[in-house]
Amino acid sequence: MNQLAHISPIYTALLTVAAPLVAFLYQALVGKRDQSGIISLLGIVCSFIFAALTWLTIWNHPVVSAQLTWFTIGASTFKVGILLNNLSVLMLLLVPTVALPVHIYSRAYMKGDPGVHRYWMYLSLFCFAMLGLVIMDSLLLMYIFWELVGFASYLLIGFWFTRETAVQANKKAFLVNRIGDLGFLIGLAIIFTQFKTLNLVDLFGEAGLIYQSAVTNGQWVSPVNSMDQIWLTIAGLAFFLAAMAKSAQFPLHVWLPDAMEGPTSVSSLIHAATMVAAGVFLLATVFPLFNESTLLFIATIGTITAASAAYFALGQYDIKRILAFSTISQLGFMMVGIGIGTWDAALFHLVTHAFFKCLLFLSAGAIIHEMTHFKVHSQLDFDPQDLRNMGGLRKYMPKTFMLMSIASLALAGFPLTSGYLSKDSIVISAYEWAQSKGDFYLLIPIILVIVSILTAFYIGRLIFKAFFGDFRIMDQVRDKLLDAPLHEASKTMLIPMFLLGLCCLFPVFSLNPFSYHDSWLMDGLLLDEYTFAPSHNAHVIIPLLLLIGSAVSWIIGWKWYVQQKYPLNANSLSLKAAFNQAYINELYQWIFVDGALKLARFCYWFDRYVVDSLVAFIQFIVLSLSRLSVWMDKHIVDGFVNAVASVTYWTGNQVRLVQNGKLQTALYSVFLFVLLGLIYLIFF
Amino acid sequence: MITLTHFLVVSACIFCIGLYTVLSKKNAIMILVGIELMINASILNFVAFGKYDKVSYGGQIFALFAIVLAAAAVAVGLALVLNVYRHYKTINPDQINELKDK
Repeated sequence: MNQLAHISPIYTALLTVAAPLVAFLYQALVGKRDQSGIISLLGIVCSFIFAALTWLTIWNHPVVSAQLTWFTIGASTFKVGILLNNLSVLMLLLVPTVALPVHIYSRAYMKGDPGVHRYWMYLSLFCFAMLGLVIMDSLLLMYIFWELVGFASYLLIGFWFTRETAVQANKKAFLVNRIGDLGFLIGLAIIFTQFKTLNLVDLFGEAGLIYQSAVTNGQWVSPVNSMDQIWLTIAGLAFFLAAMAKSAQFPLHVWLPDAMEGPTSVSSLIHAATMVAAGVFLLATVFPLFNESTLLFIATIGTITAASAAYFALGQYDIKRILAFSTISQLGFMMVGIGIGTWDAALFHLVTHAFFKCLLFLSAGAIIHEMTHFKVHSQLDFDPQDLRNMGGLRKYMPKTFMLMSIASLALAGFPLTSGYLSKDSIVISAYEWAQSKGDFYLLIPIILVIVSILTAFYIGRLIFKAFFGDFRIMDQVRDKLLDAPLHEASKTMLIPMFLLGLCCLFPVFSLNPFSYHDSWLMDGLLLDEYTFAPSHNAHVIIPLLLLIGSAVSWIIGWKWYVQQKYPLNANSLSLKAAFNQAYINELYQWIFVDGALKLARFCYWFDRYVVDSLVAFIQFIVLSLSRLSVWMDKHIVDGFVNAVASVTYWTGNQVRLVQNGKLQTALYSVFLFVLLGLIYLIFF
Repeated sequence: MITLTHFLVVSACIFCIGLYTVLSKKNAIMILVGIELMINASILNFVAFGKYDKVSYGGQIFALFAIVLAAAAVAVGLALVLNVYRHYKTINPDQINELKDK
């Protein structure tokens, strides 16, 4: 073990990334012949071991980086290399740690699917892309892996490509992500123009170019270039746009709920450690680039996202959709964390969120798995993901219930869970930040507190509706009653869930369950200075407020959903709006899709009638001209020739008559020609 | 008074009658007659124009030669007709069409 620890972290990091790539290549080559996915699993196990080694070597140790020259364009040399600092090794460890349980779980969950070999291939590619993204030391390389993550997610969301909805969903995810990619590209271009390098160490390292540049007299001056200061803001916003698309921030969040069309295990991976985490990670990486206005914008968007997604989650019935919206909402929290300047808190929440959200999805997957089995068994037609069909599952799946409850408590930020630590770190920091800024800014922490309580309510609603009360669908099968309609999930599924459940508890992150400042993770990422003063009152009041609010919301939820005293009209406008996500999709459909279609129709019309008419007109002219020339050729040129020919022919024919061998004819012609000669001589 | 023009008109008339006879008659003898008429028309011309040569009577002399020649030609012509008749058993020129190239 000691010897292993002496392997250079560079190599262990590279092996971490390479293992899933090898698994991917293997699966791609072998194809259908290997459906077990054992290689992918092995790949991720290797990845996990090497990531752990790397993490042990690097965490809280000096930054390590290695580079090779890649190519040179003009005076700029691009290097390919890896950068291992606390941030990247944390992500490097997180990805396989979450991916490993998902892989194990998938072996049971995806068993028997005819395309499972593709599933393993895509999953390995996805992990490879995400791992590559976190350790790359150049923004250009990050961009490449960023695209790869987007592509792999596209493949996974559309895994069941025979379903129309899945195809629509992956198209949507891909298109929305393209918008973000555009932002990334613009950001890259601005950075490169300003600093003539895309290397993260050169840019953001200690005394990097970013720190040497400053805004003076309205100019953003770097050691090599200077441009108007507006470009600093634009660069920040461009990177944020990239993160908005990947991390599903409001108005670009629309792809994430639809991405539920993929297998549940994929959803859990997308929502936990990969894909959506990429945006937050990117922002944490380029954080020094952001100026005041960009940060405020990020915080505002984060707040809007958190609030809107929590509201939408209230009206959903699909178990996975609720979780999807809760992911968006939590990502909003992380964005606020970045926007207020505490990206360490954002990363902390990202890590804790990764575990409990992964667990929530895997539990939901277990439920859906069992519901689907029940559906097949009972030959009933119902949606296995619809909450309204569930209820009382606690009796059939006690372990799943327990694990999902732990994850839900963590999501709600209940004390003794990891979520409590990380969520409070963001809310409290936001409060302190707002205090230092002014009264108006207090709106953000207030909204966050309300959203946290809403979070507790909607996840409570999910638990109550799914696990308490009576199994609603049972009424329909009373006559052909089965002993136990549902079973506990298989061990292969439960073990990874159990591991994730452990990671949802506070000891994993902090020995003191009530103070996020004691967390090793926050220590490791700790920023040199916060821009605002800490407030000790907030550390007591806000968690208390959140706890009381959550407790009250649960009591209400219990009354509404378990004791069936539901006071609201399910068809009320606000609930319908929540169910339909405030009609944002319809709005996009109307503006962008229909707009594009209308534009296309107009172009078609233009092409059909204007361009084609023009062509037809020219064609008509050319055709007429050619007809004319045909006529000319036929009648004038040919006619002349024919006339000459027929005159000659006629003359010849006439003259031929002379030669009939008769004496008198010969004499006659002689006379005629003499006469003609005479006439000529006389008259001419 | 009978002028030169009167002679020439009569001569032209005789010539035309001769020509017509040559071209249209279906009997070789009649063609010979036509030829004779044409020769006589020309002889008449000689005689008529002879008034301009009252010294040596060139016109009259020439007319005499022409008459002799015409007689000789008729003799040849009749011989030809006779031989043609022997060969073709006809003297209809329409049926004697072997002058053409084959």
